[in-house]
Amino acid sequence: MSVKGQDVDLTRAKQNTGVWLVKVPKYLSQQWAKASGGEVGKLKIGKAQGKTVVSFNLNEELTVVECSGEKVSSVRTPREHPFAIQAVGGQTLAVFTESPDKVALEGMVVHRAECRPAVTESYMKLKKLQIEESTKPLRLSQRLDKAVTTNYKPVSNHSHSVEYEKKKKEEGKRARADKQKVLEMLFSAFEKHQYYNIKDLVDITKQPVIYLKEILREIGVYNSKGPHKSTWELKPEYRHYEEGQEDEEKLE
Amino acid sequence: MKLSTQIVEELYSLFEVYAEMTSLGSSSSSTTEYIVRVPKNTSKKYNIMAFNSGDKVTCSTWTQARMERDMSNRRIYGEEETTEGVAGSEFGKKQREEARRKKYGIVSKEFKVEDQPWILKVNGKAGRRFKGLKKGGITENASFYIFTQSADGAFEAFPVHAWYNFTPQAKHRTLTAEEAEEEWGRRNKVVNHFSIMLQRRLREKERGEEDEEEGEKGGKKKKKKGARGGDLRIHDLEEDLEMSSDDSEGSMGEDGEDKSKAKKDKGPKGKGKKKKKGSDFEGFEDSDDGDFEGIEVDYMSDESSSDEEELEKTKPNKGEEVPKGIDEMSDSEEESEEENKNEDDAKEEEEEEDGKKTPVQVEKKKKKDSSGESDSSEDSDIEGEEASALFMVKKRTPPKRGGGRGSAGNSRTGSRPGTPSIDNAATSNTLRAAANKLEQGKRQIVVSSSETPSAKRLKMELSPQSASGKNTPQPVSGKSTPSSSDVQLTEDAVRRYLIRKPMTTKDLLKKFQTKRTGLSSEQTVNVLAQILKRLNPERKNINDKMHFYLTE
Repeated sequence: MSVKGQDVDLTRAKQNTGVWLVKVPKYLSQQWAKASGGEVGKLKIGKAQGKTVVSFNLNEELTVVECSGEKVSSVRTPREHPFAIQAVGGQTLAVFTESPDKVALEGMVVHRAECRPAVTESYMKLKKLQIEESTKPLRLSQRLDKAVTTNYKPVSNHSHSVEYEKKKKEEGKRARADKQKVLEMLFSAFEKHQYYNIKDLVDITKQPVIYLKEILREIGVYNSKGPHKSTWELKPEYRHYEEGQEDEEKLE
Repeated sequence: MKLSTQIVEELYSLFEVYAEMTSLGSSSSSTTEYIVRVPKNTSKKYNIMAFNSGDKVTCSTWTQARMERDMSNRRIYGEEETTEGVAGSEFGKKQREEARRKKYGIVSKEFKVEDQPWILKVNGKAGRRFKGLKKGGITENASFYIFTQSADGAFEAFPVHAWYNFTPQAKHRTLTAEEAEEEWGRRNKVVNHFSIMLQRRLREKERGEEDEEEGEKGGKKKKKKGARGGDLRIHDLEEDLEMSSDDSEGSMGEDGEDKSKAKKDKGPKGKGKKKKKGSDFEGFEDSDDGDFEGIEVDYMSDESSSDEEELEKTKPNKGEEVPKGIDEMSDSEEESEEENKNEDDAKEEEEEEDGKKTPVQVEKKKKKDSSGESDSSEDSDIEGEEASALFMVKKRTPPKRGGGRGSAGNSRTGSRPGTPSIDNAATSNTLRAAANKLEQGKRQIVVSSSETPSAKRLKMELSPQSASGKNTPQPVSGKSTPSSSDVQLTEDAVRRYLIRKPMTTKDLLKKFQTKRTGLSSEQTVNVLAQILKRLNPERKNINDKMHFYLTE
């Protein structure tokens, strides 16, 4: 959970640090993620005919592409990536970081760039691979030689029903407890909620249904219609609800 | 399978063509190489904060900023449904509700803190507020990285986690949807759009105040404003006539209302003027259209009369200011004070009871008119101002308000000689009207002696304590110092001046100008010389000029 209302660290914003926002192709970011040491390549910045030319060179070891499936990786990512520099234009972009304990403003974006791969053979092959992968359907129909016989074997008694019966047995039939005790239980239940289903009451009180119903008929009333249909509630004289706050128990 | 490979090969060939077309490679003259690093283990998540360049946001100017997530969309578990207490609640209701939703396939989205908008507050309470909404889909097809240059010259690339578009949040009041609809329907009729918000504010104020009286006052104010405005809209004369007739039937029936009515006229008018100022030209163009809107008689309107009245009255009221506003170049500062002060004024006026004050107030108003009228640095201006201020100081306890009223008088009253007459004549009090007319006639020449003796005496009494606050709104007079308000060329006055600061004879003469004292220049010189002889001040040469001064 983030802390409410954190003060933003503006130290770097005040220094007017400029950063570049670079759009990088997916495969390249994947390769970068694999880099262990941190260094991923070299950035060449130069001038040619008055214009700044920026280009990124991927390190050799990172050009190996991992392939899923059978194909051995004969495909390599290209190494040369010229940057296409754009102006920031109609937006003022700032960069802020979020760490677990603070938010800091890192700087303003001065240039936007797109990292484009140099169009080479290897790049084409890589793209081909990608397209092949993406066109594969997610679901596949396969033909089987033998029919599957391992499901749905007939069973004398299913496992879950065995469990159920066992549970029932150990619980045993519900015994009628003292009337007073039952009443107490009922009243405390009605303290918590106004309307109850008979099943829920049986669960709570662990009494046989008929017995419980008798007691309920004494102290409560059954709603057959209305918003809370088929529920039991206490008779008005026993009720003492306040505006959603505490109830008072009223015993007979 | 075959089909897909065919497609792939076609695409491949297309790529090849593309590659041929874009041939790169030009020899670069000078290149510098930098190492690019992608740090692995930062717990910091980088995000983009995007502002529209039209909002003119410069992060370097921020002194302090706070950011937090906007949690208003979170439905705290169970909060949506009515949280009843025990009464009316069923056992197991929540589970049942959930089961029901599942059955019907109602899927409510999970509340993810990560996706919630940010609220950015810059420079504390008085600063700006921004709301940052997350932009989806930026990491789907490509990844963004932030390249920063580190100390060792290498570049570090951090992946961008999320992109938030920040938009400024309005601090000013806005209309709700219903109100906006209403106003849209009236857009062709309403001339002054500033009054829309003003009305709303007044309405809110009324509702907010429990006190009936207050509410009445507010309502009266509005009505008064409207009535006056509507009437004054068209022609001077007409307005004049209408005003006097209307006002005499005016709603104010309480005692002491007469003066307060007049004052209130000034008050809301000033307020209206301030509001109208910006829309001067707007109203001016449309004044033909809306001219006749405000007339109460024979006005066909499909809206409730009171509502219409209020609005239309205020609007014409503002419109009335148009000719004045254009002519008069009064300071906006004065006017900005005005609103609050005028409201105060209006209220305070009602507390008046003393009928004797009437002539004084008449005078005061006169002075105000005169001062307001001539914004040029005429001393009579200052005189009038000061006089009124002095009066106010005397009669009412807070001098500040006196100053306020003075300023109000300044900027409120029209610049042209004609218009103030309307204001004054606008008072239903015939006595005052008469007095005003009288004043006007004399005003141009000199503060006439009929009232001035008393005025002067009062001024004399009060000049030492004259409201310094009053002088601040008067931008014109470079000469008016807090102490110099004497008209009478007396020894006391001269002494006071000389105690304050050293002055040359020329300065002293300037202080006692013939216009004010009523003496001719020769006489002034003589009298001044006599006074100086009596006082025998010390002399000092400053800037090659002989200055006189006195020590206490």
